[in-house]
Amino acid sequence: MKQEELSDRIDEMVSDFLFLDEGVIDIPSAGKFLNHIDGITAGVTTDTTEPVRRVACALRILIERLILDSIDQREGYLAVEGGITVMRGMIGGAAGGTGDAAVEEFMDRAARLVGSAADSDGRSEEAVMSSEGGSAAIDGGKRPFERDDEAVLRDFVTEGLEYLSDIETQVLNLEQCPEDSGCINALFRPFHSIKGVAGFLNLDDISNLAHDMEDLLDRVRTDHLSVTAPLIDIILSGTDALKEMIGSLQDVLDGIRSHPSRPDMALLRHRIAQIEDRFEEEGTVEKLGTILVGDGVITEETLAGALETAQEYPPKRLGETLLNGGAATSRQVSQALRKQAGQVMDAGTIRVDVKKLDDMVDMVGELVITQAMIKENPVIKGSEDKKLLEGLARLAGITSELQRTSTGLRMVPIRKTFQRMARLIRDLARESGKVVAVEMAGEDTEIDRNMTEEIYTPLVHMVRNAVDHGIEEPRTRISMGKPERGLISLSACHRGGNIVIEIADDGRGLDRKRILERAVEKGFMAEREELSERDIDRLLFLPGLSTAERVTDISGRGVGMDIVKEAVEQLQGKIDVSSSDGKGSTFTALFPLTMAIIDGMIVRVGSEQYIIPTASVRQLMRPRREHYHTVAGRGEVLEVMGESLPLLRLHKIFGTDGDHRDPWDSLVVVVEAEERSKCVCVDEVMGKEEVVIKSLGEKLKNVQGVSGGAILGSGSVGLILDPDSLFALCER
Amino acid sequence: MSSDKHMKILVIDDFSTMRKVIKNLLKQGGYNNVAEADDGISALKILRSETIDMIISDWNMPNMNGLDLLKTVRADRELSGTPFLMVTAEGLRDNVVLAVKEGVSNYIVKPFTAEVLNEKIEEILKRTENKG
Repeated sequence: MKQEELSDRIDEMVSDFLFLDEGVIDIPSAGKFLNHIDGITAGVTTDTTEPVRRVACALRILIERLILDSIDQREGYLAVEGGITVMRGMIGGAAGGTGDAAVEEFMDRAARLVGSAADSDGRSEEAVMSSEGGSAAIDGGKRPFERDDEAVLRDFVTEGLEYLSDIETQVLNLEQCPEDSGCINALFRPFHSIKGVAGFLNLDDISNLAHDMEDLLDRVRTDHLSVTAPLIDIILSGTDALKEMIGSLQDVLDGIRSHPSRPDMALLRHRIAQIEDRFEEEGTVEKLGTILVGDGVITEETLAGALETAQEYPPKRLGETLLNGGAATSRQVSQALRKQAGQVMDAGTIRVDVKKLDDMVDMVGELVITQAMIKENPVIKGSEDKKLLEGLARLAGITSELQRTSTGLRMVPIRKTFQRMARLIRDLARESGKVVAVEMAGEDTEIDRNMTEEIYTPLVHMVRNAVDHGIEEPRTRISMGKPERGLISLSACHRGGNIVIEIADDGRGLDRKRILERAVEKGFMAEREELSERDIDRLLFLPGLSTAERVTDISGRGVGMDIVKEAVEQLQGKIDVSSSDGKGSTFTALFPLTMAIIDGMIVRVGSEQYIIPTASVRQLMRPRREHYHTVAGRGEVLEVMGESLPLLRLHKIFGTDGDHRDPWDSLVVVVEAEERSKCVCVDEVMGKEEVVIKSLGEKLKNVQGVSGGAILGSGSVGLILDPDSLFALCER
Repeated sequence: MSSDKHMKILVIDDFSTMRKVIKNLLKQGGYNNVAEADDGISALKILRSETIDMIISDWNMPNMNGLDLLKTVRADRELSGTPFLMVTAEGLRDNVVLAVKEGVSNYIVKPFTAEVLNEKIEEILKRTENKG
């Protein structure tokens, strides 16, 4: 910037200098002044104008302090005046001599004023405001409680509670994307708003707690704290406490209480302190100074000295200070900075666009099919070229591995879903006046990301059943000799190609008498029919059977278990229930781990090929003639390991042709489907393959016995059998 | 325009309870002609369709925060001279300085009393008067 330009700028600055009038700075003028200063410092970069820059910097800080009212107005004004004079003098040409002395004098004066105030570093999280004129809180209790205030309090309760209930959803979002600043802001704002109003209404406890929450989130935002499970828990606990306090205000208004409730904050404070300590210990990113000392570039003493200098007025960065003092070369500093940047990025995880991930998994699926087709190609099959066959075998192995890894990418632990359910259980329990504890096992069990949303609804209904109908009221439980607190256990594990989720409660168990009554009422069975306890339990899944009729506010009407069963089966899953009178019930839901690929045994019946999920194959055998029987009323059976199992002929079931051989001349696959096994007679077993499940489309989706189709290596289509519905077909 | 108690004030905050609180405080100061908006965008609609004599806006709002609203108002030919009082929490230093640089008329720190609010309003009006 040329001398002339600079001079003009300063003149402009001066003419906007109308500050003091009755001892208070004029804000708009201060704003303009600051903008001029920015212009000057930006244009001043050469060494000769270094003093100008320093003075400009000092002026900026003085004005900022005046705006924030943290230094004495009169003195500050005089200092600014002094600074402007000095600056003018420098532009006037006196670069050395008196010019310098005047500069130093001004700098000292400014430093003294500023140093005696609050902070000296760039960012301060504490209130810089100290003047009485600015932030006097409302006089506690001395103001008469006016009509208007009551209306405001009522609004505060309503809106405040609304905000708090939003927070829960937002917190879950935060867990999923901890770096999303939009998410952090969305969480920050409700606490900030609540704190704001609470301050006016003199609700100190609420205001302080909201402030603590806000503070935590602010630190996440500025990377002074990372999003971890304990942090989430703290936020949720804080939210609960706020809910309680604000809710109790309603009681105060209604005259039920005289004071709002004051939950014990000590535990929460302790937890917050712990989180801070832990973060600082772990310190994922080292400070520049630490890195340089660690690398032996500077000593601890040098670092300490440099830090002190850096914090002196005007504030400089550590790196700069070290360079200026000759303690480190610019190469060393930039190397350390790069190291630091590397630490920041080395988070261990990476965020990926979900769509890209899904696309990739789909493509891997196609790869599996294509690779299988190549393998089945007659030219390839007939080839004797060793190298070719070796290469293909390797390709098959790699494809398999790739497929496993890619579906693995989409897998997430079921923990989040369980946590949502846990919160739901808490809310439901509170609503219905019950006391319920939640226990979890296997939260690390993984499930395809896409499935987590889908399974949530059926799980919610099962949970509701457990809380509403399973767990008894505290009084009842005590009278039965049970602990007052009911227990709901959520557990998950992998079994075969599926994830098995169990929701168990220690409540009253299913009311079998009532279930039977209703089943008869609805015409599902005759009165005298004999059923095992398990079978009675399973009647729960018939339409209209489950006694969930209460309207609850989470989703409106209570939903029957038949709907839940349907929902589960839509996802290719299964559901079951077992109960023990007075002791509790357990719902078990099974879902495929992934909807995309299944490991299956390819079998031929006549000219058709079918795929039996390997997870359901118990055994493959060639039966002996003497093990084959026909039983009146039951049809063909086979004796397998002492059990008498029905024999199914697929061509009869599906109306196709078969080779019509005797079972002892063909192969039998013993297929298992939840609790029962049957024998499926097949003409030939073609092999075992991982196939990509293709949906049969809307129209054929609900065909019983079949769960989808797959393109086999030969290029033909095979139907994937669904053992459960297949058996059901035959049992009718 | 000196302290005209009939002047129209626009209060902007996404928390409706807060708007009520400010409205009440304004009432105590004798200002009864108060309009409300819950974010910057709806505020602009009101500003462009009615004559607003003073804006009192919160800082932290979704869609368009107080700072962006201030910038938009100051950049708008017709609205640029509108007195603008920014409500902030604890005078967080960065925010206040930013607002001042963008031309805010004054700022006030939550929580405040009716007296302080009144003072700030009068101060703003006095300056506006002086500038002519």
